[in-house]
Amino acid sequence: MANVQLAKNLWSMKFKAPEIIEEYFGAGQFISILVCDTWEHPLRRPMSIADVKGDCISIIYKTVGAVTKSLAKMHPGDSINVLGPLGNTFTGWEDGRDSILVGGGVGLAPMLNLHKMVKTSTIIIGARTSEEHFLSHSPQEGIFLTTDDGSIGIRGTVIPTLESQVMSKQNPKIFACGPEPMLKAVQSFALENQIPTQLSVESYMACGIGICQGCAIKKTEKEGIMRQTYHEKYDLVCVNGPVFSAEEVTFD
Amino acid sequence: MTDLRIKIGDITFSNPVFTASGTFGYGTEVSDLTDVSKLGAIVTKSVTLFPREGNPPPRVVETPAGMINSIGLANVGVERYIREMIPLYDNIGTKVIMNIAGTTLEEYCDVLEKVEVISSNICGYEINISCPNVKKGGMQFGVDSSMTEALTAEMRKRTERLIIMKLSPNVTDITSIAKAAENGGADAVSAINTVVGMSIDSETGKSQIYTTYGGLSGPAIKPIGLATVHKVYQSVNIPVIGLGGITTGLDAVEYLLAGAVAVQVGTATFRHADAGEQIINELHQFGDSKSIEKISSLTGAVKTYTK
Repeated sequence: MANVQLAKNLWSMKFKAPEIIEEYFGAGQFISILVCDTWEHPLRRPMSIADVKGDCISIIYKTVGAVTKSLAKMHPGDSINVLGPLGNTFTGWEDGRDSILVGGGVGLAPMLNLHKMVKTSTIIIGARTSEEHFLSHSPQEGIFLTTDDGSIGIRGTVIPTLESQVMSKQNPKIFACGPEPMLKAVQSFALENQIPTQLSVESYMACGIGICQGCAIKKTEKEGIMRQTYHEKYDLVCVNGPVFSAEEVTFD
Repeated sequence: MTDLRIKIGDITFSNPVFTASGTFGYGTEVSDLTDVSKLGAIVTKSVTLFPREGNPPPRVVETPAGMINSIGLANVGVERYIREMIPLYDNIGTKVIMNIAGTTLEEYCDVLEKVEVISSNICGYEINISCPNVKKGGMQFGVDSSMTEALTAEMRKRTERLIIMKLSPNVTDITSIAKAAENGGADAVSAINTVVGMSIDSETGKSQIYTTYGGLSGPAIKPIGLATVHKVYQSVNIPVIGLGGITTGLDAVEYLLAGAVAVQVGTATFRHADAGEQIINELHQFGDSKSIEKISSLTGAVKTYTK
């Protein structure tokens, strides 16, 4: 059990969850955490699984609001209410030589999980500055860090690095998770260059199990869609995702 | 042990704890997380004549002690509901109340007729005349007594099953709408649907819900729900089903005291899928600790300072 700060506003928590691991089937899946017993903050927080080892799960979270800040104050021995595993997984990543993983912010969590499975893969991690990074920039090991201000790794967004990595692979495949602007950029690069790509998206959720219909995401428009339909225009991130192919979804 | 059974119309329910529409799907989705058969009844998500995609995201946001939703009645439509969901009710082990929404009187009637002509173990209909999130989601009925009465009467003509009109708190005088439902022949009313609310992110300056306004639910609205149930209870002679922010057995007791015969649990289910089951257990505990013979004796028993 551990709850440690990794970088600026970025924390990692490891806890025992044998029942969840029993049903866990791969990187991309998430859990939903109820941090506060009181009703001040009613909703669970969906968080990607960053690692599974023995009977422990790790998550990576960003301290942004009251809930995640109180999560950061928890100690080994405390207990939290966790629902999961939820959602689908990344697929087709088995050949690591061709897999390029892209992560940003807490979107790094599922990418680290996937990175562990495909050891030879390339991972590109984006952040604004060096203080948001906690790994070392080490291109020879396939780990590329980028920063907006160039304070560590390669200056700029993840996209130029992604481009050069794609050029170096025979049959490149992209797997990405991060803030929406990053996913949008990865998506348009992937579609333009016709590279098979899977995106793990974030969303506000009330239930995490397909009941509330709250976490709708727009599907890419298809021809001939009828006016009165159900789930032809929107998918639910919690049960249809969080992993979607780049062709499937549209960010507004 | 306290007798939790309650009656609405001719129907006896095993206990007064139902699910609230839109928070429990069609009743069959969460059976691995909770024992559905323990519930007094399931109220389904609103079903409309045609399938509906619902509103664009964002559709939900957390607010202090509550949440705002604007789903927009996303549902499979009545044809698919009949084909895929109704057969599953044969073995569900509890009573099912189908929630119906529409934009015109004809649409409500069409949906009801389609279900009336097939055999099913649906025991009643809750009529949603109070969805705050779609332009034509029945709200034009819910704010108008004469339209409420006319719609209720049309439904009454078409079914022997229970008719429960679901009322909106977003009106000037809810008691006149409740009376209209009673006059139209409703067996019961349920109150309250969500309260119109808004959430703004000061950092980005953005409204947090696509449709700008949405429906506020959760403990934040419990006092509004209690007051509304109490007012409605005093103004009509048909049973009132209370909802709005019920998360514990004691919340349910408060609603019963205010005048409810039964309650519905909604937002609490999103935190814990088995919230209804827990509330039933807590009702038993409360009843035992107070040596209450019948839970129905609580209905309307609140002691107020003035009449």
